[in-house]
Amino acid sequence: MPTELPYAADAEMSLTYDELDVLRLQYLKEVAQDHVTTQTKFNYAWGLVKSPMREHQVEGVRLLQEIYRTEPARRRECLYYLALGHYKMGNFEEARKFNALLLEKEPTNMQAQSLGQLIDKGVTRGKFQKPSTCLCVNPPTEGYIGMALAGGAAAIGTLLIAGLIRRAHRK
Amino acid sequence: MAPIPAATQPVNVKLLLIGNSSVGKSSLLLRFSDEQWLPEDESSATIGVDFRVHKMEINGKKVKLSIWDTAGQERFRTITSSYYRGAQGIILVYDVANRESFEALPRWYSELETYVSSSVVKILVGNKVDKEFSRQVSTAEGEKFASRMSSLFIETSAKTAVGVTDAFQEVVEKILATPELWESANSRSQATGSGGGGMPGGVQIVGLREEPRQDAGCGC
Repeated sequence: MPTELPYAADAEMSLTYDELDVLRLQYLKEVAQDHVTTQTKFNYAWGLVKSPMREHQVEGVRLLQEIYRTEPARRRECLYYLALGHYKMGNFEEARKFNALLLEKEPTNMQAQSLGQLIDKGVTRGKFQKPSTCLCVNPPTEGYIGMALAGGAAAIGTLLIAGLIRRAHRK
Repeated sequence: MAPIPAATQPVNVKLLLIGNSSVGKSSLLLRFSDEQWLPEDESSATIGVDFRVHKMEINGKKVKLSIWDTAGQERFRTITSSYYRGAQGIILVYDVANRESFEALPRWYSELETYVSSSVVKILVGNKVDKEFSRQVSTAEGEKFASRMSSLFIETSAKTAVGVTDAFQEVVEKILATPELWESANSRSQATGSGGGGMPGGVQIVGLREEPRQDAGCGC
């Protein structure tokens, strides 16, 4: 019996608050001591990227980019989680770029292949699906974010109009 | 409380593969789920964790397996611990042609003690029996250690497919026959608010897949 579609597990499973806190505290402790190990930084960045909160994802990607620059030995892992982080933020072009770099080095890497499928699906979904109405502060990349912005603006517009009507009624 | 739902609803089971790097965890999963095998130069070390859903039928019961394949590399050790949450079965893998991977087992077992309850089903898998000529751990030795750790035991080869299906089948059978796993799983799923028909782990994740980013918006 075949499996279902390959799937990048890290995409949707986030840590509990406590788990992320353990990683954060270790990171902050080392920051305070002025000596942050790559492992601690990577662990914290990984936890941040897995979070459903956008500001966490942004910070996670930032840390991963630092590690990518300074630690060539950790590049393959960074590439994967950079792709994942950008995918989660809806930056599908960036996600694809990092994932392609990994696939270039490891063409048979099944995790990268599976993440690639998710990214492709994300692009399609961004174009055809009704987006959520949240105002994400990000340059509109693949339609998804752009539409989210439009949706958010529409929602605010509706609220304003409703308010005006209500006020007009009261008079 | 009925231990296992009687309806035709598939039972969700979460399994976790652990063990040193390069013992063949991902290869076992690939062999089991896709009936494939990748030669060593084409396979790559798992980054963090990988995941597959596989459906099977055991004694007429539909089972939906979510199998989590963790990186064996030391540097992923601290972060992969979060994946133990909700697991009902643990597959501990070593390479019969690599003594070191066998000697590392006590460490993996002590990690298990920290993260999962004692009722979780464990199976010790000696992989790569196709490398019989360079074997460093005898079957008897593996068996003895497994029984000391109250684990099931099997030898496999992801390359030739020997024992692979049996390994997964045995774990799932024992999980289905262990009611406390379902009870503790129920309370856990309530604690994490995952619902999902009272079934743990896997359900939550599979459910999330269909509607991504629904739980907390984008934090803006």
